[in-house]
Parts: sequence; structure tokens; C-alpha cells
Amino acid sequence: MSERIIAVLDGVDQALSAVESLRRQGFSRAAITIMSAEPIHGAPFESDQTKSRIAGFAIAGGVIGAIAAVLLTVVTSRRVDLVTGGMPIVTPWAFGIIIFELAALGAILATLGRMIFEARLARRSALADYDEAVADGSVVLAVECSDEACLEAAKNVLGANLTRTS
Amino acid sequence: MSERQPTTAKINSDLLGPVNKPGRGWYATVTVSGLVVLAAAGALAYQFSRGLGVWGINRPVFWALDITNFVFWIGISHAGTLISAILRVTGAEWRRPVTRCAEAITVFALMIGALFPIIHLGRPQLFYWLVPYPNERGLWPNFRSPLAWDFFAINTYLLGSIIYLYLPLIPDLALLRDKSRGLWRRFYGALSLGWKGTQLQWDRLERAVRVMAVVIIPVAVSVHTIVSWDFAMTIRPMWHSTMFGPYFVAGAIFSGIAALIIAMAVIRRVFHLEDYLQPIHFNNLGLLLLTMSLIWFYFTFGEYLTTWYGNLPDEMAVFDSKVSGVYSPFFWGTVICCFAVPAPLLAIKRFRTIKGTVIASMLVVVGMWFERFLIIVPTLARPRFTFNWGTYSPTWVEIMLTAGTFAYFVLLYSIFTRLFPIIAIWEYKEGLAVAREPSTSSSSVSSPLTEST
Repeated sequence: MSERIIAVLDGVDQALSAVESLRRQGFSRAAITIMSAEPIHGAPFESDQTKSRIAGFAIAGGVIGAIAAVLLTVVTSRRVDLVTGGMPIVTPWAFGIIIFELAALGAILATLGRMIFEARLARRSALADYDEAVADGSVVLAVECSDEACLEAAKNVLGANLTRTS
Repeated sequence: MSERQPTTAKINSDLLGPVNKPGRGWYATVTVSGLVVLAAAGALAYQFSRGLGVWGINRPVFWALDITNFVFWIGISHAGTLISAILRVTGAEWRRPVTRCAEAITVFALMIGALFPIIHLGRPQLFYWLVPYPNERGLWPNFRSPLAWDFFAINTYLLGSIIYLYLPLIPDLALLRDKSRGLWRRFYGALSLGWKGTQLQWDRLERAVRVMAVVIIPVAVSVHTIVSWDFAMTIRPMWHSTMFGPYFVAGAIFSGIAALIIAMAVIRRVFHLEDYLQPIHFNNLGLLLLTMSLIWFYFTFGEYLTTWYGNLPDEMAVFDSKVSGVYSPFFWGTVICCFAVPAPLLAIKRFRTIKGTVIASMLVVVGMWFERFLIIVPTLARPRFTFNWGTYSPTWVEIMLTAGTFAYFVLLYSIFTRLFPIIAIWEYKEGLAVAREPSTSSSSVSSPLTEST
């Protein structure tokens, strides 16, 4: 059995106190999902973030973009046999500019893609557990429960703020 | 900070106001700009049917208002992404109500600027001939050409700027999704990608925006540097200059900040956002504008001084035509609009009001357009062989297209404000929350409402 409890809390202070109570009851940080209309800074809210690889993917995207640019400029210029009036067919001065631009483009696209993946966006069930009260400034807590005892404990802590289970 | 802080409901209501009820000012702006765009579209259709002969360009001046507009709008595009990225990277708290206004300018200015090389082809329907793909025509782009560099730089910057505008927009799109019904809900729902504001999502969004800000700054600098190399890579008088890159970038940021101040003033007035776009924002941007005015003057003086001191006949022909010849009204107009009036106006604190910064900005925008014209046309009109000297005067088609670019920009920007919040709602709220925190690293940071420089 796995059930999720959704509670709507008035603001950050109330959410903070609810999260601390849940942690005291033995809930792991990973079992508690907090949803808010703006980022909440502070230890209880940020303590269990998994490691992000966005920066690493940006670098990898940049490298792939640069390789693509080298293939486009160097390889194709040689194959097309351009007439360059005695100038070199392949020139790092001019081609370097295109390599720089495509490296940046690769980094930008990789950043976007990785961010969407890591933030779990653009998925069919992306809005599960969501409550539109977030838009009005409330903080929504979704608590994952694996058994009846856990469910009861969560209900006790969240009490009147409980809106639904799923 | 402070009892003055507005509630979530008031912030939502104020900042979603332009989306929900744009008001008469918005409709008037869209109508007028739409009519001018239609007139410009008519001129463009006339040009397509009759050919480039309907422009005033002729030997030796083959680049004129079209390339002036290209350089000018690419310059204006530096308002947004670059300034926003710098403010984000440096952690300037007062940026919060300003960044989206700026980022939207970048996207629309770039779109307009990038139109001109295509229009200038004369047969724009054959644009795809320039694209590198195997074809039976035996054509392939010359990657040594600055024009090919332009293609890559502008498109990278445009795509990067769209993504840089979109990423911080996602939480506000989710807010719009929750606040709307019917088709609009589906529209915003699709764009918000299922955002629900978990702490993981906030963390990843902020990381991605930080990475984007770091990547986009060198791209923005490269774009106008490469645009300057369209000119500097030739050996024409007063173009073949090593300082053209930084000179263009400085001018671009200068005109970009001016455009941003004007846009903010209009938004503030039309949508009654006086509580959000406050005098302090105009004061801070006014100080940036003053700095750029001084830098612009330094570059201009350096550029002209070295030409004058070198006293080469070919260079002096262009120099004289600018400073005391047929183009001198543009030259002195540029100096007055970009330095002589705005610098003192912005330097004196008493004049650095909203009205003062807007007047200075309007002058700077006009002056920078003159400057772009002045860089392009006099050099072409005075080539090295004197038998080939010529003149240029624009036709009604070029003037109409130029007016159309400004109207098109206003139209696109207005439509954007109707569809999306022009001030980042979540960033603004976060700024208030950060200002409320009593200690930690954010203690030195105050509210976006009140921070001074």
C-alpha cells in the first residue's frame, strides 16, 4: 500500500512547523514534497536535494556543439572544394567563431533539456498531488505513506489542513 | 522591511492585471502600432514586387537604412539578456521587477534586426539557398565570411534569449494556468510543462537560470562584436578598426539600456505599475546609462582622434564628410543626443528622475540610430577611388520600413504583455521573502521595492 496525503498550509511558517513535526514522527525528507509559489530558502526545505548535473550537461552540450561545428566547417569545406583565392581552406581564425557559437548553443540546449528532465517537467503525471491553492500563496505538502500507521501519523500532524489522499 | 509589503493576492492582482484587463491604453497602442505595421507591410510588398530599385541605394552606397536598422536593432537587443544576466550573476536584488521587461526586448529586437539581411537579399524567398545542406546548385556557405558568422551568432543569441526568457517564465505560466479557464488554461498548461513548484523544481530552475546567465553573457558580447566585424573585416576607410568590436558592444549596451528605460516607463504608466517599477529602478538604470554614455564617448573620441591624427587621405575624406561635411548634422546630432545632453542630465541627481532618465533615454535611442547610419553610409559614399564617390538619400519605402520596425517592436511587445506577466511575479515575491529574512547571507539584500544602489 502506498498512499499520498495532501495538505494545504497557510504559509511558510506553518509549512516549516509541519515539516519539522513530520520529521520528528520519523518521516524521511524524501517522503515529503513541498509545493510553493516561490522558492523557499531555509535548511528544512533544501536539505534533501539530490545532486544536480545541469552544469555538467551544459559542459557536455558545449563540447558536442563544438564537435558539430568542427564537422560542419572543416569537413564540409574540404569536401566542397571551395575557391578561396589562395587563402587556406581551413582556418582556425574564422572557423573558431562558428565553433564558439555552436558550442554555446549546445550548452544552452543541454541546460534546457537537463533542467526539464531533472525537474520532472513535461510528464503526463506532472501535476499529480498538486493543489491550485499554491497560486494564492499557500504551501502544499504531499506526504508519501507506505502503511496505515504512517498514514495515521501524518493525518495527526496535518490535521485540519488535510485536503485529500491519493 | 516592512509593513509596506503587499500581500500575495495584491501582487497577483496587480501583475496579472495587464493580462486580465489590459485597458484602453493597451488597445490604443496596439491599434496605432498595428496600422503602422500594415503600412510598412504594404511598402515591403511593393518592394518585393518591384525589386530593390525602389530603395535609394545605388553605387557606391549599397548598404543604407536597411543595414542601419539591422545594426541598431541588434544593438537594442543587448538591453535584455545581457543586462539581465549581468544583474543576475552579480546578485543585484533591484533587478527583480526589471529582468523580464529587459529579456522580452532582446527577443523582439533580435527578431526585427534579423529580418533585414533577409529583406536586403531582394529575393528573400530564396533565403534557403544560404543554408548549408547538400544541394544540386553546388552552393555552400563561405564560413570565412563575417556574414556567415552573423548567421550563427544571431541565431544562437536568439534561441538562447528565448530560452532565457522562457525558463524564469515557467512558474508564472503555472500561475496563469491556475488562474485561467477554458482554452487559456490549456494554452498556459502546455507552456508551463506541468510546473507545480516543488522545492526540487525551484532548485533546478535556479541552477539552470544561473548556468544560462553565465553562458549567455559571452554570446551576447560575441553577437555585436561579430556584427562590427561585418565592417571591420573590410579595409574601407574608418571601418578597418581593431576597436570596432568593443565600440559596437558598448554602443549596443548603451542603446539597450535606453530602450529598457523607455519600455519600463511606458509599462509603468499604461498598466499602473508604479508600486513595482519605482524611481529607484530608473535611478539605477540611469546611472548605468550614464556610465555607458561616458564609455561611448571615450570610444568615439578615441576612434576619431586616431583617424584625424593619422591624416591618411582616404580616411580623412570620410572623417571630413562626417565632422564638417554633408553628414555633419548626423555627427553632431549623435554627440548631442548620446553625450552632451544625457551625460549632465544623468550625472546631476536632481535630474535623474523618471522623467529625466526617460528624456535622456529617448535622446540616446535617436542618437544611436544616427550613429549606426553614420558608421555605414559615409564610408560607403567615400570609397578610396574618388571617381566612385556618391551620395545617398532614402526613399519613402525605406523610411516606411524604418518606421515599421519601431511599430512592429511596439506591437510585439504589447502582445507579449497581454499574454504574459511583464514583471516576474515569483521573482518579485521571492525578493520580498529574502528581504524579510533576518540573518544569513541574504541579510545584506533588501527588498526589490526599496533597495538603493
